[in-house]
Amino acid sequence: MKIKSDTFIRNPKDLWKGEPEHTEVRDLSPHIGFNQITSDVVNSLENPRPIYWWAIAICIAMVGVGVACEVHQYKTGLGVSNKSNTNVWGVYIASFIFWVGVSHAGTLLSALLHLTHSDWRKSVFRYAEAMTTFALMTAGLFVIVHLGRLWQVYYVMPYPNERGIWPNFQSPLVWDMFVIGTYLTCSSIFLYTGMIPDLAVFRDNIHDGWRKKLYTFLAMGWQGTDRQWRNFRVAYLTLSVYLIILAVSGHSVVSSDFAMSQQPGWHITSFPPYFVVGALYSGNAALITVFIILRYMFRYEEYLNMDVLRKLVRLTFALAMIWTYLHFIEMATVWYGHDQAAKDQLIFKATGVYAGWWWLFNFLAVVCPWVMAFRRWQTNLPVQMVLSLLLNVGMWLERWLIVAPTLGHSHYPWTFDFDQWPSYIQWGILFGSFGWFGLLLLVFCKVFPAVSMYELKELAYARKVELRHAHAEEGHGRPELATKGAH
Amino acid sequence: MIENNFNRRDFLKVLGWGGAAVALSACGNTSVEDGTEFVTAHSTEGMPEYAIPGVYVHFNSTCAQCDSGCSIVGRVREGRVLKLEGNPESPINKGKICGLGQAGLQAHYNPDRITQPMLRKGDQGETITWEQALTLINEQLGGVKGNEVAFLTGGVSGHSGVLLKNYMDALGSANHYAYEAVTPSVVRAANKKSYGVEMPRLHIDKAQVVVSFGADFLGAWVSPVNFTQQYAKFRKGPNGSRGVLIQVESKMTLTGANADRWLCIRPGTEGVYALGLINALGAAGFKVPSAAAAIAKDYTAERVIQETGIPAEHTEKVVALLKERTPSLVLFGSAAEGYAHGSQNAAAITLLNHVLGNVGKTMAAPASVPFPQIAPKVGNRHALHALNDKIAQGNIKVLFTYGSNPVFTSHSSLNFKENLKKVPFKVVLSHYRDETAMEADLVLPLDSVMEDWGSSVPEYMADAAQINIQQALSEKLYPDTRGFGDVLLALLKQRRPTEYGQYEDFYGYLRNAMVQNKAALGGGTASDDMFWQKTVSHGIIKLPAKAASALKTPTATKLAFAAAAADEAYPLHLIPSTSAHMRDGRHANIPWLQESPDPITTVVWDSWVEIHPATAAKLGVVEGDVVEIASRSGAIKVMVYVFKGIHPDAVSVPMGYGHEAMGRYAKNTGQNVFKVLDSVFDKETGELALHETRVKVTKTGQKVKIVKDEGPYGGGQAGKRIALRKTTDKVNLSKEV
Amino acid sequence: MSIANLLQNWSRYRDTHPYGGAKPHMGYKWAMAIDMDICTGCNACTVACYAENNLAVVGKEKFLNGKSMHWLRIERYWHDSVEAGDPIELADGKEFKEGKQFHDQGAHFLPMMCQHCEAAPCETVCPVGATNHTQDGINSQIYNRCVGSRYCNANCPYKVRYFNWFNYQDPATENVWPEPLNQQLNPDVTVRSKGVMEKCTFCVQRLRAVMVDARTEERLVREGEVQTACQQACLAGAISFGNMLNPESRISKQWMQQEVNIALDAQPKNKHVGDAVDKRGYRILENLRPYPSVMYLEQVRESAV
Repeated sequence: MKIKSDTFIRNPKDLWKGEPEHTEVRDLSPHIGFNQITSDVVNSLENPRPIYWWAIAICIAMVGVGVACEVHQYKTGLGVSNKSNTNVWGVYIASFIFWVGVSHAGTLLSALLHLTHSDWRKSVFRYAEAMTTFALMTAGLFVIVHLGRLWQVYYVMPYPNERGIWPNFQSPLVWDMFVIGTYLTCSSIFLYTGMIPDLAVFRDNIHDGWRKKLYTFLAMGWQGTDRQWRNFRVAYLTLSVYLIILAVSGHSVVSSDFAMSQQPGWHITSFPPYFVVGALYSGNAALITVFIILRYMFRYEEYLNMDVLRKLVRLTFALAMIWTYLHFIEMATVWYGHDQAAKDQLIFKATGVYAGWWWLFNFLAVVCPWVMAFRRWQTNLPVQMVLSLLLNVGMWLERWLIVAPTLGHSHYPWTFDFDQWPSYIQWGILFGSFGWFGLLLLVFCKVFPAVSMYELKELAYARKVELRHAHAEEGHGRPELATKGAH
Repeated sequence: MIENNFNRRDFLKVLGWGGAAVALSACGNTSVEDGTEFVTAHSTEGMPEYAIPGVYVHFNSTCAQCDSGCSIVGRVREGRVLKLEGNPESPINKGKICGLGQAGLQAHYNPDRITQPMLRKGDQGETITWEQALTLINEQLGGVKGNEVAFLTGGVSGHSGVLLKNYMDALGSANHYAYEAVTPSVVRAANKKSYGVEMPRLHIDKAQVVVSFGADFLGAWVSPVNFTQQYAKFRKGPNGSRGVLIQVESKMTLTGANADRWLCIRPGTEGVYALGLINALGAAGFKVPSAAAAIAKDYTAERVIQETGIPAEHTEKVVALLKERTPSLVLFGSAAEGYAHGSQNAAAITLLNHVLGNVGKTMAAPASVPFPQIAPKVGNRHALHALNDKIAQGNIKVLFTYGSNPVFTSHSSLNFKENLKKVPFKVVLSHYRDETAMEADLVLPLDSVMEDWGSSVPEYMADAAQINIQQALSEKLYPDTRGFGDVLLALLKQRRPTEYGQYEDFYGYLRNAMVQNKAALGGGTASDDMFWQKTVSHGIIKLPAKAASALKTPTATKLAFAAAAADEAYPLHLIPSTSAHMRDGRHANIPWLQESPDPITTVVWDSWVEIHPATAAKLGVVEGDVVEIASRSGAIKVMVYVFKGIHPDAVSVPMGYGHEAMGRYAKNTGQNVFKVLDSVFDKETGELALHETRVKVTKTGQKVKIVKDEGPYGGGQAGKRIALRKTTDKVNLSKEV
Repeated sequence: MSIANLLQNWSRYRDTHPYGGAKPHMGYKWAMAIDMDICTGCNACTVACYAENNLAVVGKEKFLNGKSMHWLRIERYWHDSVEAGDPIELADGKEFKEGKQFHDQGAHFLPMMCQHCEAAPCETVCPVGATNHTQDGINSQIYNRCVGSRYCNANCPYKVRYFNWFNYQDPATENVWPEPLNQQLNPDVTVRSKGVMEKCTFCVQRLRAVMVDARTEERLVREGEVQTACQQACLAGAISFGNMLNPESRISKQWMQQEVNIALDAQPKNKHVGDAVDKRGYRILENLRPYPSVMYLEQVRESAV
């Protein structure tokens, strides 16, 4: 049976109809074999659609803008970012949290869902894990960009020196440095470890050129022996457990940048879970965006299919609801609490100069995800594309509205300052960061398997076994109830 | 360099009372006049010999930022003066110095100082040498009559004043005009009339109640450093007593901002209110002399309320307080200076002082120096008007100006700038290329106050008479600048070579003049050198106290106040305000002062117009709107600051901003309010009535962001407990440390 | 360097404050008191601070953008107006003043500088330990160590920290001290470079000079031996400064008399309701528990007028 292949551009009439149901496509079409997986993925490395090169060019241009802004800022001083002695932080810190947030979804898919044996993750987790690594690399850039003396950034690291000077271990920024550093290291190792079997396949299917050398080196002599597989699985499982801990503690630590301070609107006890869930939420939204782009760009329609998308969207919606709950909890604890300054701050957000942005953020991040609740739109690609972008705009605004209003309206009325609008330098660097992230991801997808071949093959195998069982027991059971999983 | 200024520089090293310098110079021969001794051990090339690396040396001198005559201590290191403090020996400032005084450093190190004599060539300037400049002056003076030469200065005193007078005598000219743009000259005249002295000594600290009619004695009036110190004692009296300050004015000054009760009075009705208070005091059972009572009897409570706009409840409380707590003190500033009937206002207010019996208690006769030739010659605006008349008639052929910037500070209806073109040869002695210097034919660069020697006698002396010594605190920054005294001496040498040829420079003249009068100056039997060293190292000579003469008893005359005529076309009073830092604009090129927020509005780097909220609502303007302030004489565009410290019938713009020249910090910063002042004069003294200009305010549609320190909550505290205040009945001050 | 060494070094500069903890002040606790009843708001102290501490004059545009560098700023409050968010003046909420037509009881001037908190919120958050509490009770700022994260200012309740947004000492770009203005710069005080935070230091260069002198003479600094630049300039003498551990010092007597205990976050005298306290001393934002070292004395206004 031939499965109808989805295309990005479709008849506008069908736009609101939703996707026709293909109940037999559960995560992966049962008609896809091992060879097809290998050839599709290998082909994707060499023959993406032409839009790929356009995307690369656009990303390079965006990075260029960001770099130009940073060079100007580096030479002239941070003042060009148009902050003030009251509003000392701004877009950089908000974007730092945003990118750390984006990184979390990858861990959720690759590690947490790995532990829960959710097989639908198998086609998406690889690029999600890559997003984790690259988002952390982007987040790290913002920490450096925002420093007054970024050439002294190594001061935050505890390195032995003859004067016995150490960083201040009380400071949440030092915790940040540790947790982001560890998280980045582990997620890179996790990403690489998971790719080893696939790299070996590449090694064996590509016969010359730099790719051959690269894959031969990176595959580390993988032969697919039983012993290798056993060790591989233990290592992968261990790393995934470790990574989950890091992800949760990671954004909790980022939240303590604020929660540990004494500023109204910042020192809120519920910030760690609020931040972690918010991170998963915005990260998942970003996954959907990238899902739709990669699917078209690398002709991954068979693997990044509608069934997987639906599950991804449902997961995002669930996270959105948890986040919304925590969002209201956060406001409620402030509202019913004793801290008048924090209450003033909340009122200020809703009524002051940031009010427009605050209500927009609430609309985008609280109301918009309800679109995902409707089955007919869950697999509607244009809707999901726009929606996932809107959710991320909303979640970026959320981070910015944590940072900016508190600084401008804290404890000391004389220094309140509502006038500081970030300069084009700040926006330029934020813009550049998207280019940087996109560039890393696009290069990654062109060089490495963006979908995991070996896990898809496991899935394909499982689907075939299932089908065989179903045929054998025809009339006695529905295929959906068959044993799941490949393990 | 060192050879040229040998004596002077050598001297410095032994005069300091900073320990290290004294110790070092004591190692060798301290008889430095013969020039045999150097402190060379630590000096390196290009560094003055008294510069000991890493060690501060303190030298005493006198501040010249305003006319108060505060004594200062310069903290000098490596030949550079780095910080100014007050000299504790001076009874005027007792070790303190205001922000304006501190900023004298930046007048010295100002990047926009003139460094060489400049001669006008068409529209261009050409640098020339001092010899050429002095020869040129001599040539120019050759063909003119004595009375065709005029010298315009600010207030002068001390030995440069002596030289100036002698120079004018030598020229045969009587045209020395002392001009100050902002000065309490009507107050002086009224004081003279009422108390017999121009500037009585004030004892604010001894008063229980101070009622001030627009006298900004904490900000810019007469001797603010001294008065602020007195004010502190007044507020923190013995046993917890606390003086009460009541300020009656139309625009809140710094003093008004510190008042227990700030009474906003309709502009120009201060005299009415003073008489009203006398009348009310009489009604309240206070013993008012009959002559005064007769004058005041028409000023009933109803009339006072109607004319002044001050509610009865406040007046009643003030009267009760004045009756209860004595002695009190009544001061007046803008009430006198501001109006065509200013002298009448002042007479009424001085009468109030007499009625309250303050004369002799909280105000006393001042000391005076026994050498009339060095006594201060205070400036006023009238002098400029007189000079302007002469210039306009073409009677002035050579004009010197020093220490004033009349092109900037004269009101535009005087047309001074245009008239100046009728003077064929204008010499400006100046530090900056200011507006007047731009009009000059010859500009002579002066030493800064930190480089120059001099002596001065302050007009207001807090205690016994004193002579202030101004000492060079720092090495000269530029080789081609000269002190004012040096220039005068060089000019005098042209006229009277035999008499003045003996003096190498002004320093030599000054020293000689002081040493010759050693006995009269309290030098006793000390040697000349010892006396001079002591004098310079102290920076001040306190003359033996003389029994002060008593102040005059009152002579009551009938007073009449011109009713403020309603003016349909120009409905609002314009109050040009004086801020402690900007004054008349002579310090506008000092960046510290430009960036130091105005205490009341917290605005920096710009001028603004204060408008009462009610008036602003009527005009439809809000903060940041640019409005045009137009009078019959001119118009300026300034931004609005809505302010509840101004009468709804008035608007106020600060003076001193809006320079068209003078340097990078002053130029194009704000607007010059002098431009819009009308020619209305006080009827008795002929002084310009600063507050009599009527203006209309129109919206231009432009909008700017006001650059100010206060945040969006203005003076509010957003419900937080930041700045707390108590009333006297709720606090016990008696045990305070 | 072992971990033990690391922790030992680190804990050495993390003193417990307010004092009375494990590491008391070593003979000195510098503190300040400001009498707002005699402060006239004349700005002499601020100019003195600019002169003493090499503060950059940033100019109109940067001042507008909130980049002014005044370590000591004079705040001007009005007590008579109903303005946005300022409806009730009194803590007990009983008195509600309507906005008046005029500011008829004058202004309230409040000089605000670094409060040198004993438990300073800025110190704990600095990632590199560039701001510390010294043993004489000063909140110090080490410019060499500062990386410019600005976390300290973000967490400062008083917002008295000032950041070098530009390279103010560079004659090519900012030119804050054009020749020869730079010759006035105080050689005892660093001219701060781009990207570091700065703030009031209690004129630490003056303190250190006299403390070194005192130590060579094997004694403590005497009362009156040192003044901060603002205190020295203050015309009215509203600022007093000194060693709180010296019982003879004016500052310790003032704090004692006003019943303000530096080690408490709520003063026992304030347990009385409203205005029952007849003493004026208080510390700003004391309830946030930073234990500031600057005591303010309330402004007073005559009740009879």
